[in-house]
Amino acid sequence: MYPIPWLALFLAAALFCLGMFGVLVRRNALVVFMCVELMLNAANLTFLAFARMRGDNIGHVSAFFVIAVAAAEAAVGLAIVIAVFRSRGSVNIEDIKTMKH
Amino acid sequence: MDFSSLLKTAPIAPDVLAQSLWMIIALPLLGAFICGVFGKMLGRANVNLIACSTVAGSFVLSVLAFWATSHTENGVPVSVMNTFGGSPARYALWNDLGTWFSAGDFRVNFGLLVDHLSGTLLLVITGVGFLIHLYSTSYMEHDEGYWRYFAYLNLFVAMMLTLVMGDNLVLLFVGWEGVGMASYLLIGFWYSDAAKAWAGRKAFITNRIGDFAFLIGTFLIVLLVGAFTKQAQDTDLQPVGSTMARYATGLDQRGPVTFQGLETFARAMPEASGAVKLDTPISSGPLEGRTYGGVLTVAMLLFLLGAAGKSAQLPLYVWLPDAMAGPTPVSALIHAATMVTAGVYLFSRMSFLLVLSPTAMATVAIVGAATSLLAAMIAFAQDDIKKVLAYSTVSQLGIMFMGVGMGIFWAAVFHLVTHAFFKACLFLGAGSVMHGNGDETDIKKLGGLRKEMFWTWLTFFIATLAITGIFPLSGFFSKDAIFHGVHHNHLHGLEWVSKVLYPVGVGIAMCTAFYMTRLYLLTFEGKRSPEARVAHAHESSWYMTLPLFILAVLSIGSAVYAFAWLPNSPQALMENFLSPVFQAANRIASTAGTVELDTARPTGGDYIFAWVWVAIAGAVAAYLYMKFFPAWGDKPAPAAVRAVRRVVHNKFYVDELYEFLIIRPVKFMSFVLFRVVDSLLIDTVAVRGTAWVTARVGSALRYLQTGDAQAYAAVMALALLGGVLYAILKVF
Repeated sequence: MYPIPWLALFLAAALFCLGMFGVLVRRNALVVFMCVELMLNAANLTFLAFARMRGDNIGHVSAFFVIAVAAAEAAVGLAIVIAVFRSRGSVNIEDIKTMKH
Repeated sequence: MDFSSLLKTAPIAPDVLAQSLWMIIALPLLGAFICGVFGKMLGRANVNLIACSTVAGSFVLSVLAFWATSHTENGVPVSVMNTFGGSPARYALWNDLGTWFSAGDFRVNFGLLVDHLSGTLLLVITGVGFLIHLYSTSYMEHDEGYWRYFAYLNLFVAMMLTLVMGDNLVLLFVGWEGVGMASYLLIGFWYSDAAKAWAGRKAFITNRIGDFAFLIGTFLIVLLVGAFTKQAQDTDLQPVGSTMARYATGLDQRGPVTFQGLETFARAMPEASGAVKLDTPISSGPLEGRTYGGVLTVAMLLFLLGAAGKSAQLPLYVWLPDAMAGPTPVSALIHAATMVTAGVYLFSRMSFLLVLSPTAMATVAIVGAATSLLAAMIAFAQDDIKKVLAYSTVSQLGIMFMGVGMGIFWAAVFHLVTHAFFKACLFLGAGSVMHGNGDETDIKKLGGLRKEMFWTWLTFFIATLAITGIFPLSGFFSKDAIFHGVHHNHLHGLEWVSKVLYPVGVGIAMCTAFYMTRLYLLTFEGKRSPEARVAHAHESSWYMTLPLFILAVLSIGSAVYAFAWLPNSPQALMENFLSPVFQAANRIASTAGTVELDTARPTGGDYIFAWVWVAIAGAVAAYLYMKFFPAWGDKPAPAAVRAVRRVVHNKFYVDELYEFLIIRPVKFMSFVLFRVVDSLLIDTVAVRGTAWVTARVGSALRYLQTGDAQAYAAVMALALLGGVLYAILKVF
């Protein structure tokens, strides 16, 4: 058992909060997208920190999974953003609030 | 080979034929299926052929089965092993097709039984049924619904056969309900006429009341048998020739509602040596504390209500006259010859239980007599030819109930058979009259048909003589046998019943003479009414007159069963023939001392007494008729006579009374239930209320859906924050 990697955990929390803030307040879909990536990477960092603390590599495996999923998510997400831009000429989230009451 | 040994040598051995008993029911059922499903494609001639031939096939099988029940080998009659122990049932065919259903120790088998009682009825049902099918082919020749008609008629025959062949109460009940349904379908056959459809419904609902009582009676019997097996000991069953172990085995194999088991139970009941007697309280179960005899009486009275529904007795007789809305051959088959006698059959089949309860017997006899008298008086003033015959049927059924109630079962069955012949003949004759007169049913607008419809007149005349009870036709003997039994049998503790009912019975015979003479005179004698629909009636085709002729011959010929032909027995032929069925009842009655059955033969004096009564009544009827009716005499009727006539014509306002006492309150309650419970509580509050609340809540909540993904994400983030805070608080 290794000591708790406080530094890495605090860095991950800071990155996650930064990413969440961006997701909540930014209007540009691309920036929102990048913020999501930031949140995912914060999660990855946490996995690695805990893996180091436990002294095994399950956390590493999880991080690789997250990276793979993030890659797929980036591909699909960017495709959606491009499709939205083509149909509406804008990537502003304010302009695509059509799914409502 | 002499005649009597020919009768005792069946062409097909009983044990072979017993395997095929189910075919007697299956044939008409198959006919009903084919006519009902493919009838329209097959065309009229094919449907006629199928319907008639299936019933004819049933008839042939019934004759063989009937013959086989009297089969003897080396002087020993055919017998059926009694699963419940004791002596085997003689002169019977029995075939158990296996368990139908069972639950716990309750079991019902699909067992078919043909003995001398059900064999007699089989012949009547399939024989008269075939004649009426033949008649119907001509009667319905202009009707578009012929295939439907023959499907229903075949279905009826199949169900009636189930009723008489079932060896247990449940199978009997299947037939009981089945004939009720067929009757409903056929009464409302011309359903586009609202009044006829209503008549069908009235019959069905009135019958349902009786069927309900029948079911409760069956349940009571099941409980009673169950209590008996718990409480009885070997000493109870020893005099019957059985033991508790064998009786219980029988119940396990055949169930508590088999007639064989009930007979063993009934015979064990009155024996003095056993632990269980009629006045023993039941030791356990839901009937705890009640006596066996008391519960039995209640069960029998419930069966009486059931029989009153099916056989049109007080207080449920009102459906039968309205049932005349159906086609006339239906009235002849269902509402005169077969179905309405189901109640008489039921009590004859359970004679061994009935004789244990003098109270129930007295009630049956009194109900029968009251119904008979009332119906006969109503028949005085009816102008519809079928209505007169309908009330006459109710009246004759009442006479049969009197016979059953006074313990003279063979005479009741004998009257059932002869009545089937002459009443079917009368109804078919009425149908022939209607067919030849443009469907005119008002006897005031007929008249003078004697010359125009010779064969119809001749057969109707013979049947009228038979039902009136003119010597030496069959009706005289069967009715006389019942009244003789009523006169000479005594119910223990209720001796007054027989003293009261005998004069009533003779009065009923007189009434019968009155209304039948009136009906006959108005229809066939005198001049043709100026209001007649057609100038000249035409005689019907031989399809219609042949059944009439055969039935008329049978109404005369069946009298032979009333004579004591047998060399070494004083009994009438019919009594001797049915004695294997009713000997248990006689033995129980003499052991229990509930009924004193007199086996004396009627003497010449009795015959003359009855004969004089009938003759006087006929003469009085004719005389009053000539005097008071404007169409025949010139004098108008006095006001009092007209008032009485109006009351009688309106059937003593019984329908109106029922309307006021029962139908109105029920309708009012239904209205309240409809308005308050159904419309208000269920429809408005429960159904529409739920929908309304859901819709309101939904339209309030929909403003939360903004379409802004970031707002949703913010909510998620807040929830996540809340979750984290909660977790932290939990930890510290």
